[in-house]
Amino acid sequence: MSEPIVRLQGINKWFGKLHVLRDVNLDIYPREVLVLIGPSGSGKSTLLRTINLLEEPTEGKVFFEGQELTDIHTDLNAARTRMGMVFQQFNLFPHRTVTGNITLALQKVLKLRAEAARQRALQQLGHVGLADKAGAWPSQLSGGQQQRVAIARALAMEPVLMLFDEVTSALDPELVNEVLLVMQRLASEGMTMVVVTHEMGFAREVGTRLIFMDQGAIIEEGDPRAIFANPQQERTKSFLSQVL
Amino acid sequence: MTITAAPQAPPDRGLRYFARQQTPWSWVTLGVGILALMALFVGAGAILTAYGWTQKCPPGSKAAECTTTTPLVEGLLSPELGALAVAVIGVGAVAAVLALLRSRSVPNKQAREAAIAGAVIGIQAAVLAGVLLWFRGSNVEVFARNFLDVRLLREFFPRFVSGAKNTLILSVLGAALGFFLGLVLALFTLSKRAVIRAPARLYINFFRGTPLIWQLSFAGLGVVTALRLGFFSGTGGPYKVAIAVLGLNLAAYSAEVYRAGIQSLERGQIEAARSLGLSYLQSMRFVIVPQAIRRVIPPLTNEFVILIKDTSLVIVLGLAFFQKELLGVGRDIYNSTFNATAWLGSAAGYLIITLPMIRLVTYLERRLRSGLTSVVG
Ligand SMILES: Nc1ncnc2c1ncn2[C@@H]1O[C@H](COP(=O)(O)OP(=O)(O)OP(=O)(O)O)[C@@H](O)[C@H]1O
Ligand SMILES: [Mg+2]
Repeated sequence: MSEPIVRLQGINKWFGKLHVLRDVNLDIYPREVLVLIGPSGSGKSTLLRTINLLEEPTEGKVFFEGQELTDIHTDLNAARTRMGMVFQQFNLFPHRTVTGNITLALQKVLKLRAEAARQRALQQLGHVGLADKAGAWPSQLSGGQQQRVAIARALAMEPVLMLFDEVTSALDPELVNEVLLVMQRLASEGMTMVVVTHEMGFAREVGTRLIFMDQGAIIEEGDPRAIFANPQQERTKSFLSQVL
Repeated sequence: MTITAAPQAPPDRGLRYFARQQTPWSWVTLGVGILALMALFVGAGAILTAYGWTQKCPPGSKAAECTTTTPLVEGLLSPELGALAVAVIGVGAVAAVLALLRSRSVPNKQAREAAIAGAVIGIQAAVLAGVLLWFRGSNVEVFARNFLDVRLLREFFPRFVSGAKNTLILSVLGAALGFFLGLVLALFTLSKRAVIRAPARLYINFFRGTPLIWQLSFAGLGVVTALRLGFFSGTGGPYKVAIAVLGLNLAAYSAEVYRAGIQSLERGQIEAARSLGLSYLQSMRFVIVPQAIRRVIPPLTNEFVILIKDTSLVIVLGLAFFQKELLGVGRDIYNSTFNATAWLGSAAGYLIITLPMIRLVTYLERRLRSGLTSVVG
């Protein structure tokens, strides 16, 4: 097997006295679509945010493309340009247009010229089907459209890894699909993805590996279809019986 | 089968709708009330103008050659004005009685509102007329001489303009310094490093915890003289000290405003910025601060209005003649004429500057409130 893109080594995380991640070890390989599921508060978001160090682990090491991110000498900003993250609440910048949202990091971080950044933004907007919204303000878009802009914003950086944290949870039911379709296409193009989701259909159809977490620990891991059909652990069983 | 809803116009609730709902009775009540108020203002204005506001002087003459009696006092004490006031009280009362009489048989809400408005306006006119009558009974002569000497305002008008100019210069330059420094301070107080936070907090608490008048006195009379700071010496010295202290003081207050504005943004904004690879400073500069500024413009404008009034405290610094601001000018004129109208001139100057700003705050707040959902988006 090839080298992992991400390696989490002995990760522990405490929020005060709350032990949120317990001895997590995890390797993520190129072209994987890793799906994280688990009950609320089990630490899925915290684990995902540990990968790009939005949360700093209390113990343990995070490697990205062979480089240790938890080493204080690492240029974290440079590493972050190579992983995109999409949030539950979209987090578009309301004071910038759709294009302005996408071009900001292209110009200020990747140092692209204005015109080149704009071209790349338009191209990404085309990919998520929003070419006609280039000049719109985030507040003028539906939730599904905003989330697709957020995805385009992350993709414009041309990352090698995409992190999705419950990106459809804040959407009206009829808008969920348009976002899932974009993610599905991305997966089929070979993007490495880590997806925290409550969409079990997506987990089964698109996921290449499934991780079930509970109380900060990885309880079960394997092929999504196999786990859905035949969970090995009691806790996985009872969780799946509640959500399926 | 398809059902097409007939296009429906929204119900017309404009002024014309309001007018259509009125009854003759409500029209009359409203009309009488307005009549009372108009009669008072227009009538009093006409009578006072007929008598004249200031002494009449032959063109190109000295003050001694002017008429000796004060026409404004004559106008105020004239029988015409007294009769007008009594008449206004009567008309105002009629409006109130009209509203009371038919209040039970009112056909709709609009008619009731119009009648109530008429009665209230009528009563307001009657009360004002009553105050006028009471005032005529007091020592009008002395009051008019001391507080209503329009001639004095005209004579010293250039001084007041110069005072207003200095008030504006002091507050605009003070604000430029304070608003900039305040933002820097706010960012310091939000630092995760205690060694950066602590001095900023110390600064803010010191300037918020001591009176501005103390800060001005201490800086102008203590620090500058004792340390012989070159930049702050000479004739321009006190003026520069005033601007510096006003700015340093405003910085402390505006820092708190900026901090609240920044903290009102969701965490997700900075997280999104950082996840794109922007550094902390870039995230602040391009994502957080631009949004925070929008939210703090109304409260900062408010701070600016406070600053305009606080410029009056520089009176303790002993500015040169041409550097005096509105309050200093008013005090100088009072000291040389012993006429309190000078103070009113200062007040008028402040109001001319601050009222538009106060209106602006209200407007900005309303606009921001209505746009808030789309701002948060
Ligand atoms: N910044 C924080 N400070 C303190 N506690 C936190 C913080 N962030 C998360 N937690 C706590 O850590 C635990 C794990 O949170 P996390 O958000 O990772 O769970 P999750 O699995 O993503 O849950 P959900 O499905 O509700 O999003 C929860 O108990 C949460 O309250
Ligand atoms: Mg979560």
